[in-house]
Amino acid sequence: MIQFQYVRTSTPKAAVDAVSKTQNARFIAGGTNLVDLMKRNIMTPEKLVDINNIPLKGIEQQGNKIVIGALALNSQVADSKLVQEKLPLLSQSLNAGASAQIRNMATVGGNMMQRTRCNYFYDTAMPCNKREPGLGCGALEGFNRMHAIFGTSEKCIAVHPSDMCIALVALDATVVAAGPKGERRIPFAEFHRLPGDTPEKDNNLMENELITAIEIPDNAFTRNVHYLKIRDRASYAFAVISVAAALHIENNTIKDARLAMGGVSHKPWRLSEAEKALIGKPASEKTFRNAAEIAMQGAKAYKHNAFKLKLGPNTIVQALKNAAEPV
Amino acid sequence: MLRNPCESKEKSLNQQIMNEAFFDKKDYKSLDRVDGRLKVTGAARYSAEYQLPGLVYAVLVESKIAKGTIKSIDSRAAERAPGVLAVISHVNAIKVPGYQTSNQHPSEPPVNGQPLRAFYDNNVYYNGQPIVAVVASTLEKAQFGASLVKIQYEKEQHKTDFDANMDNAVLPAQAKKNPKSPVADYNRGDKNAFVNAPVKIDAEYVLPTEVHNPMELQAITAYWEADDRLTLYDKVQGTQPTQQHFAKEWNLPPENVKVIATFVGGAFGNGLHNWPHETAAIIAAKQVKKPVKLVLTREQMFTMVGYRPYTWQKIQMGATKDGKLVAINHESVGQTSSYEEFTESTLQQTRMMYASPNVNTRYRILKLDVSTPIWMRGPGEATGAFALESAMDEMAFSLGMDPIEFRLMNYTDSDPDKQLPWSTKYLKECYDAGKEKIGWDKRKMQPGSVRSGEWLVGYGMGTGTFGANRGAAAVRAQLDADGNLLMQCAITDIGPGTGTAMVQIASNTTGISTDKIIFQLGNSQFPKAGNQGGSSTVNSVGPAVQAACNALKEQLKTMIASKGGSNAAFASAKKEDIVFVNGQVQIAGNDSAKVDIRTLFKQNNIQKMETTQESRPDENRNKYSMYAFSMHFAEVHVHPLTGQVCVKKVVCCGDAGTIISPKTAANQMIGGATGGIGMALTESAVIDHRFGRYVTKDFAEYHVPVHADVPHIEVFFVNKPDTLADPVGSKGLGEIAIIGVAPAIANAIFNATGKRIRELPITPDKLI
Amino acid sequence: MGDNHYSDQPENESFAESRRNFLKNTSLLTAIAVTPGVVAKAAENDLGEKIASAFDKVPLKMEINGVKQQLSVEPRVTLLDLLREQLNLTGTKKGCDYGQCGACTVHVNGQRVLSCLSLAVMHEGQKITTIEGLTKGDQLHPMQEAFIKHDGFQCGYCTPGQIMSAIACIREGHAENEADIREFMSGNICRCGAYPNIVDAITEVKNNGQKL
Repeated sequence: MIQFQYVRTSTPKAAVDAVSKTQNARFIAGGTNLVDLMKRNIMTPEKLVDINNIPLKGIEQQGNKIVIGALALNSQVADSKLVQEKLPLLSQSLNAGASAQIRNMATVGGNMMQRTRCNYFYDTAMPCNKREPGLGCGALEGFNRMHAIFGTSEKCIAVHPSDMCIALVALDATVVAAGPKGERRIPFAEFHRLPGDTPEKDNNLMENELITAIEIPDNAFTRNVHYLKIRDRASYAFAVISVAAALHIENNTIKDARLAMGGVSHKPWRLSEAEKALIGKPASEKTFRNAAEIAMQGAKAYKHNAFKLKLGPNTIVQALKNAAEPV
Repeated sequence: MLRNPCESKEKSLNQQIMNEAFFDKKDYKSLDRVDGRLKVTGAARYSAEYQLPGLVYAVLVESKIAKGTIKSIDSRAAERAPGVLAVISHVNAIKVPGYQTSNQHPSEPPVNGQPLRAFYDNNVYYNGQPIVAVVASTLEKAQFGASLVKIQYEKEQHKTDFDANMDNAVLPAQAKKNPKSPVADYNRGDKNAFVNAPVKIDAEYVLPTEVHNPMELQAITAYWEADDRLTLYDKVQGTQPTQQHFAKEWNLPPENVKVIATFVGGAFGNGLHNWPHETAAIIAAKQVKKPVKLVLTREQMFTMVGYRPYTWQKIQMGATKDGKLVAINHESVGQTSSYEEFTESTLQQTRMMYASPNVNTRYRILKLDVSTPIWMRGPGEATGAFALESAMDEMAFSLGMDPIEFRLMNYTDSDPDKQLPWSTKYLKECYDAGKEKIGWDKRKMQPGSVRSGEWLVGYGMGTGTFGANRGAAAVRAQLDADGNLLMQCAITDIGPGTGTAMVQIASNTTGISTDKIIFQLGNSQFPKAGNQGGSSTVNSVGPAVQAACNALKEQLKTMIASKGGSNAAFASAKKEDIVFVNGQVQIAGNDSAKVDIRTLFKQNNIQKMETTQESRPDENRNKYSMYAFSMHFAEVHVHPLTGQVCVKKVVCCGDAGTIISPKTAANQMIGGATGGIGMALTESAVIDHRFGRYVTKDFAEYHVPVHADVPHIEVFFVNKPDTLADPVGSKGLGEIAIIGVAPAIANAIFNATGKRIRELPITPDKLI
Repeated sequence: MGDNHYSDQPENESFAESRRNFLKNTSLLTAIAVTPGVVAKAAENDLGEKIASAFDKVPLKMEINGVKQQLSVEPRVTLLDLLREQLNLTGTKKGCDYGQCGACTVHVNGQRVLSCLSLAVMHEGQKITTIEGLTKGDQLHPMQEAFIKHDGFQCGYCTPGQIMSAIACIREGHAENEADIREFMSGNICRCGAYPNIVDAITEVKNNGQKL
């Protein structure tokens, strides 16, 4: 790891100021991804601005939305009674990610900022446009079993690794960010980016902007929800495919639905068309299968991940079944 | 709240109670691990945990091409970085005296070729080869220094793709020289019997590269105490083999090389060889004149300390319609490096496990631009068992027979390969008890017939076998006036609980309570021992413990008898009857024959009584065929939509002779089953052949099983002594614990789904 | 798939490293890099050390196993390496160094975290408990006792991490049944495979209901 300057701050403004002063400076909160990347010389910030002392850990109901501070720990959110009661999908998705120890370190803001786990991004001896624009995409013609099937470009086929974000995009969350020019709100679905020609940019956060909170509007998805994560071992592994499913069912008719997928795209993948196909239909396997087929439209596979074209819809169906009949 | 596929609220059996009950009537009782306290308090010191004065750190820089030569190494920035003491490569490394000749490991298999030499020349043989060591005052400074080294290469065309190059596989050189070599082509009976067999199976099986990945990273602390005296705290499976290796490499008398490996954080075979990183640390310590600590990174564990080789197999199996095997043809190709021929016993069990009159085996190796493999738990036998036991299941299904019935139909009461009687074989007992414990009667022949909710339920089984190996070993035993027994042996304990088992053998032989016995190990200065490997430790060191204890008894007997009088009973006492109780020597069943040890030692003017005894394999090895056997049953649940596999239950039975330490033995079986779950379902090290470089090379990408993958595992043992194999009656079980587990799971998945997966690991994508 | 070479691959060892100039990135190193090469080699390391200590170490106060520590560390030193390499608390293990195995688990203010992914300087004023801090005199912690009783380990290398994690798992309320224990202990890898025995040990301590 290179030497870097280390400062601690206790207000968002001080943090933004500190990070603005130096080129190649980064905020650090849990550090679970950044420290890992720094050890491997994938990210080499010259300055770290420790934001852990900023009071942004709250989880509370504010009017008709739940506001979660950016520094709330993943475990804290997952175990929060408020979240378990009103946003069970979020709690499930958090517990599906990483390990108990990591969830005790990782923050909500940091979770959103985590980089892809693409094997080529993670090895400085390999080509990767995200790590070093212009080097080429190693995964495109390489070992791409874990890679994207939606929204890819010739420059990058990496996937976003978070589980939490899949639930948040389904729940219509809003990101609150503080920057040199003040505060702004970004709809969650517009926070992360598709790779396009600039895969080095994971998201639309501006330089020196700090995530301060996530806002989730109240919803009716308190019972019929399920986060289903398919992975290569039973726990502590990134998603091969994951599905966040939330249904509002009355008299066996789907009144409202939310559906998003992980492990398939450079951003949390919201399945809006499939949601439309669910609403007003009976909560049956036939309905779910139809929605899953709609969800997969436009998917494009690569050499090692063609199975996702089948596993994807199957996982959607199963997640919806589990949501419709919670244990 | 969770909906893990393996989630189950039912309380499973209490492992320990069950195992205790099984051993109730036996000689050996469950004993808590003698080093347990050190391990649970963090006091156990592993190789990277000796804080020597002046200790500095070395970090290795590895090659990033798969083949070629080093054009230049720009080390200027690294040399100038703060705290960096040396940047060492072939350009400036001191000459290793042993490199002028061969540095073949004394305990190695007869491999051919030249083991990789650290910083020897500018050749690059594979991607991930150690090229440079950066030595610095702190770990962080060494790591940073390593990141500054720039290496330019002249690249050459490399070959790492097994499938694309399989046609280039060759007969190993040792088999060319010696047609009786175990890896030479083998034929029994009619070579062409398969062709005319009434029922046939013809299938290919692939096992990907697997990596040992013990939890402790390979580590060495090298310290030149003088110009000609070297001390190594080294993560190895044999202290004396390592001592001999480096004595030869550095042209030193063996007694000048001390190797300490008191605690070894797992190894599973990768410590059976001495590797270039060890020499790199020794070179660095010599050059900077300070003790040097070198710990590999997790990625480096994939390329510097061996792995289980990628292996292709083909089995042709023929049987009569009523289920008698007619022929087995088994071919195997395993990968090796370009510079060394690694071979293993992938095909051995095909020759001896079943009573097929006609057997052909053909073993080949494929040289690729990769590092050299090394035995990984169960080694080749585990690989071979995946193919053989899958094929047996396929054949049983074709015949419409129960897989156990089919195996019993072809059971053999003597070794058809060596044509010798077994020393012992109790596999039928394993089948019988295992069937009941797994609930085999719930199994239906037709795949997909049993369900639990949405999940498909399947049952499968696999058999394992491994040679009951035994080598020479010696133990020093010292009895003090308080009746405490101290024993020493150079053997290591990589986890099975060697100290615990040896204390139990000593206690069982002498009657001394286990808390008064200490067994010290992991030091090359202790009496003779080879590697801990090949399931041979208890069978080799155990008899030496027994011999040393008996020798002490003889010495005591002589000493007591020489005093005459009431002690005359000792002169004629059998050594079995002499016991040590509460500081007294007694004769069992003779209340008047008691001698206080302290008084006796005082009378004879000694503080302690000591002996060193060596034990060696005997001629029985030529008269009997000696194998340990195992049986594994698995119940799996497979989700038809998502392909998720949940191993619900595993039952393992070991036929491993007398079980010395029931508690640690059961744990070892559980560990083997866990390794088998990884082999079957999760583990695979993948190379991107465009670069010849691994792309799955840490614990996030190379999946070893976690808690959630492993159910309760029911273990039981036949526990009948095999005194032909060795005097303690034990056959090793480290290998049989894993051999046969992967096919049991693959067979269970077939039974659940009707999908026969012949390429491991069986990840969800293969089942949808 | 053949062994074709990747066409764009330069001859250099690395795509990224050839372009990245670390020397530019750190002013400290720039200072050293411009030091004339004629400066005696022996002096260079001392100079480097001096600069490092002048610019790069940060004061750090923390309480480790009940003992208050006043330290001075480079910001890049992880909590794990601080414990193992500077404080000789080697009970906390390095199994991967990337947060993928759990061997380095310690408690920070009572919560289980991975010391390998944590910079030491981020723990100013915090209480760290390692495996060495569990025993009270000669008295083992109930979890340590249970691991011995149930043989919840073999080689012992993952054990300190398993034990630290297990205690927290119960405290968190994630040890209500075996399935929960398996799930919430999955961040601690045991390659020897003693998992079922570990689950038994945790279950017993949980059922005994002691305050941990």
